[in-house]
Amino acid sequence: SEMSKDLMPGPYPRTPEERAAAAKKYNMRVEDYEPYPDDGFGFGDYPKLPDKSVHERDPWYQWDQPDVRHNWGEPMHWDFDMYIRNRVDTSPTPVPWHTMRKHFLVFLSTMLIMFGLGGIYPSYRPVGPKQYPFNDLYLERGGDPNKEPPVVTHYEI
Amino acid sequence: MAAGPPRTAAEAYRPNRFVSLPAELDPATYDASPEKRRAEAERLAIRARLKRQYQLQLNNPNPPAIIEDPALVRWAYARTQNVYPTFRPTPKTSFLGALFAIGPILFWIAVFKADRDRKEKLIQEGKYKRPFSLF
Repeated sequence: SEMSKDLMPGPYPRTPEERAAAAKKYNMRVEDYEPYPDDGFGFGDYPKLPDKSVHERDPWYQWDQPDVRHNWGEPMHWDFDMYIRNRVDTSPTPVPWHTMRKHFLVFLSTMLIMFGLGGIYPSYRPVGPKQYPFNDLYLERGGDPNKEPPVVTHYEI
Repeated sequence: MAAGPPRTAAEAYRPNRFVSLPAELDPATYDASPEKRRAEAERLAIRARLKRQYQLQLNNPNPPAIIEDPALVRWAYARTQNVYPTFRPTPKTSFLGALFAIGPILFWIAVFKADRDRKEKLIQEGKYKRPFSLF
């Protein structure tokens, strides 16, 4: 666009002067400015802002862009599009995260183990062979109506 | 074994990458030292300067067609065009590159080969039931 090269992100700052210039470029205080570590991952001099989602920003302040709670010129997080209000939410939870994880894993593992055991060792109510009425459906099975049907008893006394 | 000093609520909460510490448990909220206030004042000065610039453009009788946000432009530039110039092959990046680029290819080669070999073995032994297909 029309912005000059020195207003755009550049390589990792090595000297304190470069750091100060980068902080000024990104509209941050020099003490607040912290670039991503120089691991060769391609971040350059972009500031490493705290990983907090847009949910945590004050909903009652008059932001310039209220839907994303962002002011004009304020440095945006690298993963800004992940942290919008429709997506990842890092706001504090009433229950600590490790407690929630523990409860969920306990429940999930209990259910999985019980379902697994139930599949390996199934247990059903006892059943017997099916019993048909009318002398074992003698007429329906094509028995002679003139003959006496054989008496079928399914019980023993 | 004697228990150590009782854990603070902030330590018991254990904030991590997915969830942040509530402001009520953070000792920094209750810190009203002059250094913190000077830092807040400097941040407010920067914020006010940016607000003023934006409001001047917004309330201009002849407003520009688009009020371009330099922070947004820098964000987009950093994520697209500034990655290749600042990329450097290091052991970590090379390893991750191989893992995500070549790993899946080798994995699926192995899976398909194993599946085909198993089917071929069954066919040779005569145990494979050909599926009936209408197409």
